[in-house]
Order: sequence, then structure tokens, then C-alpha cells
Amino acid sequence: MSAAEQIFGAGGKRTRPALVFLVSRATAEIIGFRELTKEHRRLAEIIEMIHTASLIHDDVLDESDMRRGKETVHQLYGTRVAVLAGDFMFAQSSWYLANLENLEVIKLISQVIKDFASGEIKQASSLFDCDVQLDEYLLKSYYKTASLIAASTKGAAIFSGVDSEISEQMYQYGKNFGLSFQVVDDILDFTQSAEDLGKPSASDLAKGNLTAPVIFALEKETKLRDIIESEFCESGSLEKAVDIIESCGGIDKARELAKSKAELALENLQCLPLSSFRFSLEEMVKNNLERIR
Amino acid sequence: MTAVACHNLEFGRTMLDFLACGCTSNASFDRFPVRSYAKGAVRNVNRGYKPRKLVCFQPEIGPQTKTPEALLTAVTADTPQVLDLKKELRSPASLTNLFEVVAEDLQTLNKNLQSIVGAENPVLMSAAEQIFGAGGKRMRPALVFLVSRATAEIVGLKELTKEHRRLAEIIEMIHTASLIHDDVLDESDMRRGKETLHQLYGTRVAVLAGDFMFAQSSWYLANLENLEVIKLISQVIKDFASGEIKQASSLFDCDVQLEEYLIKSYYKTASLISASTKGASIFSGVNSYISEQMYQYGKNFGLSFQIVDDILDFTQSAEQLGKPAGSDLANGNLTAPVIFALKKEARLRDIIESEFCDTGSLEEAIEIVKRCGGIHRAQDLAREKANLAVQNLQCLPLNSFRIALEELVKYNLERIK
Repeated sequence: MSAAEQIFGAGGKRTRPALVFLVSRATAEIIGFRELTKEHRRLAEIIEMIHTASLIHDDVLDESDMRRGKETVHQLYGTRVAVLAGDFMFAQSSWYLANLENLEVIKLISQVIKDFASGEIKQASSLFDCDVQLDEYLLKSYYKTASLIAASTKGAAIFSGVDSEISEQMYQYGKNFGLSFQVVDDILDFTQSAEDLGKPSASDLAKGNLTAPVIFALEKETKLRDIIESEFCESGSLEKAVDIIESCGGIDKARELAKSKAELALENLQCLPLSSFRFSLEEMVKNNLERIR
Repeated sequence: MTAVACHNLEFGRTMLDFLACGCTSNASFDRFPVRSYAKGAVRNVNRGYKPRKLVCFQPEIGPQTKTPEALLTAVTADTPQVLDLKKELRSPASLTNLFEVVAEDLQTLNKNLQSIVGAENPVLMSAAEQIFGAGGKRMRPALVFLVSRATAEIVGLKELTKEHRRLAEIIEMIHTASLIHDDVLDESDMRRGKETLHQLYGTRVAVLAGDFMFAQSSWYLANLENLEVIKLISQVIKDFASGEIKQASSLFDCDVQLEEYLIKSYYKTASLISASTKGASIFSGVNSYISEQMYQYGKNFGLSFQIVDDILDFTQSAEQLGKPAGSDLANGNLTAPVIFALKKEARLRDIIESEFCDTGSLEEAIEIVKRCGGIHRAQDLAREKANLAVQNLQCLPLNSFRIALEELVKYNLERIK
């Protein structure tokens, strides 16, 4: 219970459930639905539970002390409770999912849970690996972030009963928005202060998790490779690496990438009728980019 | 003459045909080690008994439950012979013998499991080898195969379906994933005589490997596309988590009742087993009464199994257990023997509530538990559940698989004789 309060009260934005509700309502209009179904609502809850469970386990895996400006569950209560809380939430969401009794959605979300695990493994096995390519990074970002979002938006469309082409567009919207979102997060890890982030700055890089800005910078500046491969054993080397990444345009190129995914996401919304909900979905994409203006 | 059901269509075969289809005849005992798992006949080689003539007969077409009498009349043998079969199976008693009839199924399972888990990543591969090679008995998948084959006969199913096989793999993955996380939660160093995953590779890899396996099994489960089974197994995963939480929040709590202990044991152990047995029968396509009986069999056997495990934690040495003795108690996990003993000996409560801070207090507690009959009463409980389990098998036709299922229940009790 306390663990739950820690997590659910810790200032999460509820982006994912919001997306479910927005897509639900935006698509519902196409076929004349008035209200959201209980499946829609349950889907949103499931999504948020899965997301939260993954965060709890992520923090155990990353040995992180802080998230959203507060101590992580495992820092406060120990690894045991964190693993248990995460397992419990995954289990609950699986059970609710099964009881939605929609095979398509069950398979969709099960794929996500599998993708999460694959993404973690991919990341864990390529730390400090300077040969990482952009498409591997995008795949990993898909597994870790965009997969859940894409399944949310597609699931919402399925429960609205729209035809498969629209469901597919909703899936693509979720995927492109999700990738854009992750790229922006990765940029902010460099550009924001610890205070804004709610956790230490450049922690991705410090741990050897090489994201878009770094990958772009590595193409330009070979010195960066050496520093990274040293795993920042020298003091001041992390700061030096961050400087290099900024000065050789790694951040800028990453910004371009985030924008290109965002544009694709906006295109995916074309199939929806113009409504306040579609508008909100567009605004979400744009607001995300505002974070890195 | 011993009658054995042979599950193939041809009638009146020659000896060579018998061998091909997996049955044995009297002449063949010493010369042909027949692998009969695929066809379901019982292997009766080299047991030191008089050679018996075995006859194949044609099962009737169409789904129907065979009564033992109908089976036997078809080959003009009488009932006592079938009981002899049980004796043969029980000596020498070992799990390998019991699972002989599904040995090939288990081999295929092992191969598939290694490749499913190992395919993703070299670290997981080593982890997978550590886990899957660590002397696990594969009891749960064996149960799936046994129930699958036992129930298949009722509806005239010839071979296991791929759903049956996938179900067994899923079950074993879930079981293994739960062990990996359990060891993280208990901070255990040893399991099955080897170091635990998280001791070797760290907590991170252990959590990751566990998560990965849970995820894989959920995905395979979803792709079985059977809503009833999906819900059944999702309930299990939920029960696992509930069981862990129940246990974690009642450590050293001497007010724990037997009922709570049984619920916790259900969540942690019997739930998965009963979902396995029920799931297997669902995929065989038998009616819901039989599925329900299979569920009950799994539940009662599972409870019996857990109680026996809990007894052994007191009675076996560290060497036999593959981990320190009395570790449940040391961790504050109060199981059946303790719960019974607590009713008799008030002193035990004080020692437990002290959380064994004094040296020698754990040993003293174990002594008390043994002395005041806690073990005996737990044995009675295990037997009671076992009897229920055997009763649940009554609805199955008498075949080698049903016998194996009965023998498994009895074999489990042998561990605490």
C-alpha cells in the first residue's frame, strides 16, 4: 500500500491513460459512440499499471535512487518489496487483461510485456557499446516506450470498434509519438538540470546507456568514443563527454529526429474526424516537442 | 495375462507391429527395450516378473469414457491384473520411472525451453542453463503431459496437440520465473544444491531473467488463443504475487491459522498445478465435469506436495535439501508442522517471536516442533489431501497415465515415510 502511494502519488503525468481516453473518444465519434465503454476504462488502468510496474523494476535494474524527485520504491523499501510490487502489478494487469476477453487486445498487450523485457535485455547487453547504430537505438526505444503507447492507442481504437485501417493508423500514431517522446526524454537527460529532471543529469550516459544525442555525436567526434569506453573512470570525464555531445551538434540532430517522428504522428491522425479529441492528440505531439525548444 | 491399453488403431498385430507401436509382448522383455511413451503402453521390461502376454486392442471409435471393466473385457483379462501393474510401477519407485510414459514429451520440452530463453541473449543463455540444468524434476510439465494423455483417451485423441505441448512449456517457464524471483525475495544463496541465479549474476540479471520468462510465457499464453486457459493461467500469476505478499506480511506471526497457511500454499504452489491439470484437460476437449475433477486433483496434489516440502524442511539434512535445513522457520515462514506445534507448546511462540536472535534457538525450536507431534500432524494433513487427489482421478479411464498420476501422489507421500 505504501509502495503504491509512493508510486502512484509521485507526480506521474498519466500520459498513457490520457492517450487511451483521447483516442477512445476521438474514434468513438466515428461510429457514433456517446460514452466510453468499461473496456476502454479498464484498458487505461491496465496500461498505467503496466507502465508503473515497469518503472519499479526499471529502477531496481538501474539501481536508481530517485524518480520524479522522490526516492524510488526500492531505495525506500528495499529490492524485495520493489520486485514484489512490480510483480504484483504486472500480475494484476495480466489478470484484468485476460478478463477483457478480447483476444486481439490480449495478444497486443502481451506482446508489449514481452517487448519490455526484450528492451531491458537489449539495453543491458549494449551498455558502453560505441558501435550501437541508430536503428538499434530506435528498436530499443520502441521496445521500452513506444510499444506500450502504440498498443494503448490501437487497443482504444479496437474497443471503439472502428475498422482495421483506422486501428492501424492509431497504432502508428502511438508508435511515432512514443519514439518522439523517448527521443525528447533522452535529449532532456543532457540539457536539463538535476532539479528539473527529478534525478541526476546525464544519468543515461553515466550508466553507459547511449542514446540518440550520443550516437549522432559519436559519428562526428572520435574522442568521445575513448571517454565512453573508459566508462568515465576519470573524474570530470562525464562532464567533458556532455560538452562534446553538445558542441558537435548531437543534441541538434536528435532534435531533428524527434521532430521527424512527431510529423509522422501528426499525419497518422488525418483519418480521424476533426474534434476536440483529435486536436488534443495533435497538441500532445507538439507539447512534447516544446520541451526541447 | 496382463491387459494394457494400446492407443493405436490397428487390431491384432504381429509381434513386430507391437514393437513398432510401442507395446511389448512376453518374448520381447529382455531383448527389446521398448520406448512406449509415444503410444501409451506401459513398459514392463526387466522387472523380474514372469513374462506376460500383452494384447493390443482397438479402442472404440468416438468419445466415450471407458470403465475399467469394459477395457478389461475386451481382452478377457480380469481386474486384479491391473492392480499388479501398479506394483510393478512402484518398484523401483522413482520419478523417472513414473514419468517414463511421457519421457519423450519431456525431452522435447527441455530442448524448446532452452532455445526459447537462450535465444535472446548470451547472458540469459547462461542463466537459462543454470536454471534449467539445475536438476529440476519437470514435475509440472509431466503432469500436463500425463493428464493430457489420460484425458485424451476419453475423447479418442490420438496424439498430444501443440497446445498441450505449449501449455507445458508455459507452465514450466512460469514456475521457473517464480523460483528466480523467489530467490531474490528470500535472498537465498542455494537452490537444488547449486548457487541461485542472483547469487551468481546479481539481482539485476535475476530480476530481468524472471521478468523475461514471465513475459515470454504471457505471450505464448495469449497466442494459444483460448480465453478459458488464458484466464486460468492469468489467475495463477496473480495468485503467485498474492501468495508472496501474504507470506511476506505474516513472517514470524504466531497467530497464523491453518486455513491461512492452506490459502498461502494454494497461491504459491497448488494454483499453478491445478491450472496445469485443468488446462491440459481443456485442450483435450473433455467435458467440464472432468476438467473440474482435474482441477481438484491438481489442487489436492499440489497442497499435499507443498505440505510434504514443508515437512522435509525440518526433517532432511542440508545436503539432501540442497539448501540449509529449517530455513523456512529461520526466515519466519511458519508452515504446517509449526502451526500444529504452536497449539501444543507455548514456549515455541516466544522463541519464534524472538526471531531466533539467540544462538541455538532455531535448533531448539526445531526440536520442539518434532517433539510435540507437529511433524506427525502435518503428515496426516498431507495424506488427507493425497487421498482426495486420488479420488479425483476416479473419473479417468484406467490406463497407464491415470496410474502414473496416482502413483505420483503416493510417491510424494513416500518422501515423508
